[in-house]
Amino acid sequence: MALLATGCGGGTAAGSGELTVWLMNGSAPTSLTDELHKEFEDKHPGVKVKYEIQQWTGIQDKLTTALAGNQPPDVVELGNTQNPKFAKERVLTDLTADASELAGSQWLEGLKQSGAWQGKQYGVPFYAANRSVIYRKDLFDKAGIKEPTSRAEWLEAIRKLKAANASDPEFQPLYLAGQNWYSLLSFIWDEGGDIAKQEGEKFTATLETAQVKSALEFYKQLVEVSGTKAPKDADEQKPEQAGVYGQGKVGMIIGLPWEVDTAAKTDPSIKAKSAAFPIPSKNAGTNAPVFQGGSNLAIPAGSKNAALAKDYLKLMTSAKYQSQLAKSGMVPGTSKDTGELEASPFGAAMAKGSRNGRAVPASPKWGTVEEGQNPLKDMLTAYLTGAKDATKATADAAAKLNGLLG
Amino acid sequence: MTATVDAVAPVGPVPPAPSAVRRRPFGERALPYLLLAPAVLALLVMLGWPALQVVLISFRKLDLGELVRGEVVWTGFDNYAEVLADPEFWSITLRTVLFTAGCVAGTVLAGLGIAVLMRHIGPKVRIVLQIALVLAWAVPILAATTVFQWIFDQQYGILNKTLVLLGFESFAGHSWFSTGASTLVVIGLLIVWQAVPFIAFTLYAGLLAVPRDLYEAAGMDGASGTQTFRAVTWPSIAPLVTMSTFLSVLWDFKVFAQVWAIREGGPDGGSTTLPVLQYLKGIASSHFGVAAAVAVVMTLVLVVFTAQYLRMLLRSGREEL
Repeated sequence: MALLATGCGGGTAAGSGELTVWLMNGSAPTSLTDELHKEFEDKHPGVKVKYEIQQWTGIQDKLTTALAGNQPPDVVELGNTQNPKFAKERVLTDLTADASELAGSQWLEGLKQSGAWQGKQYGVPFYAANRSVIYRKDLFDKAGIKEPTSRAEWLEAIRKLKAANASDPEFQPLYLAGQNWYSLLSFIWDEGGDIAKQEGEKFTATLETAQVKSALEFYKQLVEVSGTKAPKDADEQKPEQAGVYGQGKVGMIIGLPWEVDTAAKTDPSIKAKSAAFPIPSKNAGTNAPVFQGGSNLAIPAGSKNAALAKDYLKLMTSAKYQSQLAKSGMVPGTSKDTGELEASPFGAAMAKGSRNGRAVPASPKWGTVEEGQNPLKDMLTAYLTGAKDATKATADAAAKLNGLLG
Repeated sequence: MTATVDAVAPVGPVPPAPSAVRRRPFGERALPYLLLAPAVLALLVMLGWPALQVVLISFRKLDLGELVRGEVVWTGFDNYAEVLADPEFWSITLRTVLFTAGCVAGTVLAGLGIAVLMRHIGPKVRIVLQIALVLAWAVPILAATTVFQWIFDQQYGILNKTLVLLGFESFAGHSWFSTGASTLVVIGLLIVWQAVPFIAFTLYAGLLAVPRDLYEAAGMDGASGTQTFRAVTWPSIAPLVTMSTFLSVLWDFKVFAQVWAIREGGPDGGSTTLPVLQYLKGIASSHFGVAAAVAVVMTLVLVVFTAQYLRMLLRSGREEL
């Protein structure tokens, strides 16, 4: 498929007037790309944008094939955790010098890190999303609870909500799967810790610290205080937490804004009854840092139209199109203006959290952690089920993580 | 693939007896081989070449970088050294062998039991049973895996709820996936459930070939059920049972989809089998050379465990031809 697509590009590129753009399914809305492509083609007479929407499933293999080929696409979208892997292999164009033209001062820090390798920038932030606490506003109001602004208040809210709904044995004030490691990341960063540190090209796990142990303890507190019935040995997709939330017996989940829409498939009325607040910090009044998932844009090193591709990126990173991205419910990657996003309560909570967005270690081997057996998930399960204490759980996870990243 | 293999089978016995060959002209002598050639060629291209590639890759350092740049870096036995020096590899191998043995024993025993049952029950019940077997067989692997996950779900699973209703209160919220052994038992049940229909039908077909009068004769001699099974049923289906066992070993040893889909080899690597290890090394970590080495070692382990059957197969093959 990849060979076919690039092969076609090669056949018609003779007129030098074609720019092949690969964006991912569900990233930029059609209204945005239609307008942008028209503007681009008007500015560059004779150039046609060949826009191809790619599926996330299997994209890594497809990109590998395409980037190694003779006729790669000219602009590609990369998941931010995949970016370092490709940057390291030198198959992307160095965009360090172009940063200022691509709204460099506005870049989201979390995404910027993921696009950089050895001090050079190979990926430009595109958009991001992060988790916040989605909650049942109607139930909060009934129990007289306000949006918590600190961890202590959050735990208190969970207790109150549980007491207010004590008549229903199936009610869970917070649904938190045992392996929701993205949430654990927030707590670790909030404690001032991290999962790994970088020295040169080498990444070393930093899990055996007091900060990580405190984060684990807080996670356990959330599980115990809420009495969540979520499995301790599975992540938030098994079963899908949005579906559980949609059944109406759950007060809060830690999730992405669009999970409310998934929940609405079970119960259409739930979206109107829900709102969101950023993940609270242990320091009252601030938000916990959040893992920023998202995408970068990059130009394959083999692109024959690198200059055109840069012009394309210039348009995409401009305030005009970034605000359209924000409107579609994403945190814009190259614009600090999140006004459009804040129109919805879920977007507003996400935007607040995103100012404190962080990334996973920018190791080219990070994909191994997410695609294989994630030591952080095993650590959570072992600790929450009591199979290991914090010292042993963190030591084992650190050893595994070092094995994967080393 | 199947078509190619099928095409070979009928051609097999064609080469005439050597005495006849000497008298025939060359063209006629070559004809069977020419007829065989397309199938052999197809097999070589589709099976032989990839197999050779795997062996060659296992002697190379082939990570994402080498793949992208198209470099060929020979590293000799480095990949093998890395794989074999890892103590975890040996525990995974042992686990895989035990897991395979459990699955195969379960499949063949259950299949044999159902086959014998089908031989002895009335036609109506048998048809219902057969339809049920075919339906179980027809369920796609991942669909069945998902259903099993629901059955064994900690909170919402029907198994725990049923056990609680039956009075086993301690199973409320019991996690079937909290240890590797328990997880593998669930996966094993799933695999046995999926594999039993084929084995049952194969053995039932074998049983149909046993003449009814043998059973009558045994009955007249006053043989008990067990004696009849040992003296009449077993001798006629023993070769089929051997073959089913051999095939099951091959299938169950390399099961990946179900193992990965249930808990991704977890918890804490507790249900990681060799195929999962291969996935982790190859696809997840992009160490394709190491993954190829694991594949080669896996094949060697399989050969060791099936050597006896292979020998029998080769010997019987010589006798029949």
